Amino acid sequence: MPCNTHTCRDGAARRHFKHLGLATGVSAVAIVAAATFSPVPAQAQKIEFWTQHYGDLIAWREVIAGLVEDFEAESGIEVQHEIVNWSQAFNTWLTVAQGGAAPDCADMFWLHSFSGIGGEEFGPRPITEFRDRWPNLEDEFFTGSLQDVNWEGEFYGIPWRVDIRPILYRTDLFAEAGLAAPDTWEDLVTASKALTKRDGNGNVERWGYSFGPGNAGQALVPYYWQAGGDFMTEDGSTATIDNEAMRTALSWMRDMVHEHKVVTPEFMEKGHEPFDEFVAGTVAMIGSVPVAWPARIAREFPELEGKWALAIAPQGPEDRDTYSGAGYFGVLRGSENVEACVQWLEFLSRDDSMQRLSEGTGNVNPKRAVMATDFWGDTEWKQTLTATLENGRTSQHPSPVWNALIAPQPGAVIYDMMYSGIVEQEDLEELLPAAEKNMQAEMDRAN
Amino acid sequence: MKRQQRIFCYLMVAPALLFTIVLGIYPMLASLQMSFLEFDLIRVREHGTPFVGLRNYITVMQDERFVQTVINTVLFTAIAVSTVVAMGLLFSQLLSANFRGRTFVRMLVCVPWFVPPVVAAAIWMWLLNTDRSPINFLLREWGWIDTNIKFLTDKNTWGPFSIPMLSVAAVRVWNGLPFVVIFLLAGLQSIPRDLYEAAEVDGATLLQKFRYITLPLLRPVLVVLLILLTMTGLGHFEINFIMTGGGPQNLTNIMAVYSYNEAFTFFRFDTGSAASGLILILTGIICVFYIRSQAKAVGP
Amino acid sequence: MTGIADTLSTFVGGRARESGPSSKADMMTKAVVIVVAGLLLIYILLPVFWMLKSSFQTSFDIRQMPPQWIPSSFTLSAYNDAGVLIPIWRYLFNSTLVSLVASVVATAMAATAAYVLSRFRFPGATTILTLILVTQLIPPITRVFPIYSIIQDLHLLNTYTGVIIAYVGFSLPFAVLLLRGYFQSSCPPELAEAAMVDGCGYFSAFWRVVLPVSAPGIAAVGIFTFLNAWNDFLWASLLVSSGEMKTIQVGIGDFASEGGGITYVNAFMAACVLATVPALIMFIFMQRWLVSGLTAGSVKN
Repeated sequence: MPCNTHTCRDGAARRHFKHLGLATGVSAVAIVAAATFSPVPAQAQKIEFWTQHYGDLIAWREVIAGLVEDFEAESGIEVQHEIVNWSQAFNTWLTVAQGGAAPDCADMFWLHSFSGIGGEEFGPRPITEFRDRWPNLEDEFFTGSLQDVNWEGEFYGIPWRVDIRPILYRTDLFAEAGLAAPDTWEDLVTASKALTKRDGNGNVERWGYSFGPGNAGQALVPYYWQAGGDFMTEDGSTATIDNEAMRTALSWMRDMVHEHKVVTPEFMEKGHEPFDEFVAGTVAMIGSVPVAWPARIAREFPELEGKWALAIAPQGPEDRDTYSGAGYFGVLRGSENVEACVQWLEFLSRDDSMQRLSEGTGNVNPKRAVMATDFWGDTEWKQTLTATLENGRTSQHPSPVWNALIAPQPGAVIYDMMYSGIVEQEDLEELLPAAEKNMQAEMDRAN
Repeated sequence: MKRQQRIFCYLMVAPALLFTIVLGIYPMLASLQMSFLEFDLIRVREHGTPFVGLRNYITVMQDERFVQTVINTVLFTAIAVSTVVAMGLLFSQLLSANFRGRTFVRMLVCVPWFVPPVVAAAIWMWLLNTDRSPINFLLREWGWIDTNIKFLTDKNTWGPFSIPMLSVAAVRVWNGLPFVVIFLLAGLQSIPRDLYEAAEVDGATLLQKFRYITLPLLRPVLVVLLILLTMTGLGHFEINFIMTGGGPQNLTNIMAVYSYNEAFTFFRFDTGSAASGLILILTGIICVFYIRSQAKAVGP
Repeated sequence: MTGIADTLSTFVGGRARESGPSSKADMMTKAVVIVVAGLLLIYILLPVFWMLKSSFQTSFDIRQMPPQWIPSSFTLSAYNDAGVLIPIWRYLFNSTLVSLVASVVATAMAATAAYVLSRFRFPGATTILTLILVTQLIPPITRVFPIYSIIQDLHLLNTYTGVIIAYVGFSLPFAVLLLRGYFQSSCPPELAEAAMVDGCGYFSAFWRVVLPVSAPGIAAVGIFTFLNAWNDFLWASLLVSSGEMKTIQVGIGDFASEGGGITYVNAFMAACVLATVPALIMFIFMQRWLVSGLTAGSVKN
């Protein structure tokens, strides 16, 4: 493994590293040497840039390294790239929002929560004063993605990836059962019933349906929207979950579990992992899959080629709103290199850079020009993803407690409501008013 | 001379004391302090951290989930500690006997020690998943069961006990066993051999020897071990958190997981600190016994 | 499993011949013990077997239903992939360095403190011992943020020194306890006194006489602190979160995917296998010391 980019570029750090290598034999010396191997303080023309990783780890490093190199050649600004892994991403950004070590700029998510927590001291920094560098933002980007970079009237950065969630299903099993691609809630019920398989003792060999990814809190969101609901008012002040739409969504989900028996009653427990089950063929269809999954299946599981497909999210009683959320490149409070960061963001937001990011990772891009290229039209699943974008609706809500509300944990208002209403089949007439009251109490924390 | 001795003592103890205070006592006090403040991450920038007295403790104690969590914590600790000590006694007996390949068996028993808890929990989750569990498949193939055992998700309870609780406890036992075996093996070595030989002359059976020689002589070691395990058991976090996150229906939730979720999921550092303050009280009670037993042994 | 069964039956035979009249009852006891121990060994080794087995399969085969107990095909590609996907050798090096240094430093500090706490009466001794013991009871979770800010204020985030300091802090109380017991019971005070009569100072008596005699106990404590540091995830994930400085436990987290779950399960399993090997090797070489070193140190009074 070659050493990473910043170690190689930075002569001083490399010298220290050699020094360190020599000293490892003697522990006492090693401590002293290790102390000298701390990050080099940022200089004027050098910015620190953190990202999560997407798609293939190697491919991701290469894509960023290529962009960094071109940007440096053009502007003379050096970009030091660090990868934050997904198992730590949340805690890392929470720590940053509380004054922990932060980079100059980064690939971020959950703007509303983290800027709510960071206030005016830490966390994401608005770059409203640089907004005119992107005069045609509204025309060039899908509208849904821009909701994720604006908060309380301020502009925070450039969306560069969209998590849009279509239906994923096994075409081999559908063909076997003589079913067409699902399009409405009714289709989902019919297909799921046909595809669920049990042995003589009632052990399930295959579930017809799974609501969504492992995160149970997120599973409800698209169905509630499709039934015509909104979780809160537009200003983020009032909870609105005690209504007909919620009754429709919850009772439909409850019926899938208990009446049709096509969804595992364990779907809200922690070990539930529909991805593994789909690959193993023990789940036939997932209603709302993270955008990374199709690319991941294509890359990691050649064995499944030709056996799966995507369909745009189903038509519910009211509409077809699809779970989506954008990750963005933004600047962090505390950075002394804001201008250099904005230049880097400008560079990244060009069609060409966005194209490279999108192709290197299989991530859907919020820029219309990118999605119109051949890359996004060359296979059927990519075309479906692009089509799904039109129905995308951001999963982020204008309240900093939103992510606490839909956390996949007992104690979170929406999780508890789903558990009581769907798994435990409690009376919704009693449940919903109480849930709305709890949700309002949580939201009032922010006021 | 006396003065010189004192200087020597303080110099020798200084580094350890410094580390203890900076990385142990100070963080503990800082965290305790937080439990008496309002420390809501969502509000802290605008409202600061006003002193609220015991409010956080009251909030936590009034939460039904938390009360269940306290019971679970105690039960988990009791189950895990007693099982791991029983198994530890069995293996340490076995491994203190002389037989070919003893070193190898000892290594096998200790293997869980080298599997990081994070990894172990992930693998056990795979092995215990209702529909995918290879164990379920095997048991069905042998005809021992008809329907899959829901190791981590069965919601039936017998009093406070449930299958998920026992499953998670089993993984904790698995993780803690090597330490206990080594600890007890060491303890066994300090029992004089001739006691056993004398007993054999009197025709004592293995069980009698265990009951009348090993157990009484091992008692001091066992007491220390039990106290240590109980203290770490009450504050345990990782395995419950990774495997079930406290579910299903709070059946495997424990205080440390509750505390973590309050802080990191719900952004409530104050109630989180109060919950861990209550763990401190529990372990503190155990600790009083420990310190007593230790303090008696100071100096010649 | 037959190898183990053989070994165990040797044990039965060996012991049965030794004992006299009560051998029939003993045979029963032994048989029960061996059957139970055999079953427990399966339980102990099952996850390890599963990890090892999976590391030789493809990601697709690992997920096959019904599960494959014996891989239908063996491949070493996962080990190759693990090295390509994450800088695994660098992570292993980091872990080894950090754990070794932390273990040496913690053991040294614990030995000096434990020695004077076990041997001399001086004002404050009981208080100091109590302070150290109290630290043992603090649940790690409660210390997360204060310690993060201490390390940050020292500008030691993402340095070896930062994690080493943290590990030393956490291992100290237990190390002090064990060593104090050890010095009390297996290192007679007369030794040091004799050395001092010979003209040694306090420190040189400790350094030249007490330490060499106590080598097994010190080695045992060293192993404990090493394994504590090696297996840690929580602290390393906070204190060395970036790039090349990660320890192997944190590095394994690189396989976590954006939607949760693990990408390249087979490479992940291979990385896990590699993460257990160094600790295993160390144990093989040190296990003799571990037991004998703890013998007296397991705090009997």
